[in-house]
Amino acid sequence: MLNTITEEAIVIKNGAKTFQTDIENPTYVLKNVDLSIKKGEFYVLLGPSGCGKSTLLNIIAGFLDLSVGELQIVTSREENRDGRGFVFQSADSALFPWLTVEENISFGLKMKNVPAEKRKKVANTFIKLTGLLGHAKKFPDNLSGGMKQRVQLARVLANEPEILLMDEPFGALDAMTRRTMQNELIRIWKETNKTVIFVTHDIQEAILLGQKIGIMSVGPNSRIETTYDVNLPYPRDITSVDFNNHYKQVQTHFEDFTI
Amino acid sequence: MTTIELKKGQQVAPVANVKKKSRIGKLILQSGIIGWLFILLVWQIASMFSEPMFLPSPYLTLIGAIEIASDGTLFLYMGYSFLRVLAGWTLGLLIAVPFGLLIGTNKFVRALFEPVINFVRFIPPLAFITLFMLWFGIGEQSKVFLIVYATFFVITINTLTGVLSISNDKLLSAKSMGASKFQMLIYVVIPATIPYIFTGAKLAMGSSFMAIVGAEMVAANEGIGFMIWNARLYFKTDWIFVGLVVLGLMGFIMDRIFAYTGRKLLGRYKVV
Repeated sequence: MLNTITEEAIVIKNGAKTFQTDIENPTYVLKNVDLSIKKGEFYVLLGPSGCGKSTLLNIIAGFLDLSVGELQIVTSREENRDGRGFVFQSADSALFPWLTVEENISFGLKMKNVPAEKRKKVANTFIKLTGLLGHAKKFPDNLSGGMKQRVQLARVLANEPEILLMDEPFGALDAMTRRTMQNELIRIWKETNKTVIFVTHDIQEAILLGQKIGIMSVGPNSRIETTYDVNLPYPRDITSVDFNNHYKQVQTHFEDFTI
Repeated sequence: MTTIELKKGQQVAPVANVKKKSRIGKLILQSGIIGWLFILLVWQIASMFSEPMFLPSPYLTLIGAIEIASDGTLFLYMGYSFLRVLAGWTLGLLIAVPFGLLIGTNKFVRALFEPVINFVRFIPPLAFITLFMLWFGIGEQSKVFLIVYATFFVITINTLTGVLSISNDKLLSAKSMGASKFQMLIYVVIPATIPYIFTGAKLAMGSSFMAIVGAEMVAANEGIGFMIWNARLYFKTDWIFVGLVVLGLMGFIMDRIFAYTGRKLLGRYKVV
C-alpha cells in the first residue's frame, strides 16, 4: 500500500473549477475530477474541444488554482514549480523570438544564475536530444513549425522537470511532421523517464502515445469519465489490428460521453 | 511544351538583359527619385504661374538658401533646432519608457493614470507654449520641456501597448522556468516591448519637430522656426521655403539614421 502511494506523481481528488465569482450558483468547467498518474507514466487527456482539458492541464501546471478539491504534485524538488515543465500549443507565442535557439533553451538556467559555460553545455545536450543540431544559432522565426516545437520541448527539458505537461503540442503541425514528432516524443520520453501528461482531441494520437488515456466528458461539469489502458508495445503501428481494436473501443467510450 | 536546345557557347542573352534592366529600374524606383522629381516639377510649374513673393521657384529657393547659408546663419539655426529636438526627445524617451512599462505591468497604476493620459494627450503641445514660458522662462528650458511633453505621450502609449500585447504563454513559460518578477521584466517584458518603444520613439520625432517650430516662432531668437516666422517681416518668401525644405530634410535624415541604427543594434527584436 505504501509503495503505491509513493509511486504517484500527480493526484487530484474531487477537483472542480469555476471562473465565476457568483458563489451562490456557479457554473463549473470541471467538476468531480479524480485523477491519479504514476511516476514515469505517459498519460493522455482526451476530450473534445472546449471540454476543459486545457484548463485541467493549467491547474496541474499551477497556472490556475482548483476552486474545490485537492491537487497533489509529488516531486523530489523543494520548489514544486521546478518539477513541472509546460509545452504550449503554439510555439510562436511561447518561444522568445529575440533569442536564438540555444538562448531559448538555456533561458531557465539563466534565470537560476547558472554560469554561461554550464548553460551552453546543458543546452547542447538537449539540442542533440531533440534533433536540433545545426540550428543552435538560428532564431525561432527561421525554423519550421515542427522545429519550433522541438525548441520548446528542449527548452522545457533543459530545466530537468520530472513532469512534462503538453497542451496539444502537435495540433498545428502538418500530418507528416506530426507523425515524426510523435515518434520523437516517445523516444525522448523513454530516454528521460519523465511523467508526461499529454492533452489532445485526436483519438489516434492518444492511442499512439499513451499508456493510459483519461477520457473526458463534454463541459460544463466535465470530468474524467473513464481511464483506458493501452497495452501495446512501443513503437506502435497505427495500421495494426490491435491498434484498430483499441481505436474502436476508445471511439465507443468517446461517443458515450461526448454526445 | 517546347525545348530550346543551345549550341555550345551559346548564351541566353536576351533573358539576362531583361533581368539587368529591371534591376536598374527597381533601384531607381526604390530610391524614390521619381517622387522627388515629380514634386520639383509641380513646384516649378506652379511657380511659373505666380509671383516669386507669393510662390518662389525651386531655383529661387536654392538662391535664398545659399544666401542665408553663406554667413552660416542657416547652419546655426539648424543646429539650434536640432539640439533642442534631440535634448527634449531623449529626455522624453528616458521618462516615458519606464513610465509606460510601469503602467503596463501594474494594474493599479494603470487604473490610476490611463484616464488622465487619455485626457491630457489631446491637448496639443502648442497650447502649452505660453504656460511653459511662464513656468520655465524664455530660455532653452521651456522649449526642451515642450518637446518632452510632445514626445511623452506617444512613447508612453506605445510602450504600454507593447507590454499589453505580450502573449500570456511567454509570461507563463518564463514563470514556470523559474523567472522572478524582476527577471520577467528584464528578460521578457522589455525585450518583447522593444519594437513598440522603437516605433513610439520614431513617431515622437515627428511630434518633436512640430512642437519645436511652434515654440521657436513664438519665443526664440534663433532656430528654423524663428527663421520662418522672421522671414515675413522682410517679405522673404524664399526663406520660408528654405525653412520648410530644411525641416523636412532634418526629419528625414534623423529618421533614416534612427531606423538604420535600430536595425543594426536591435535587429533581433524585429524593430521596423
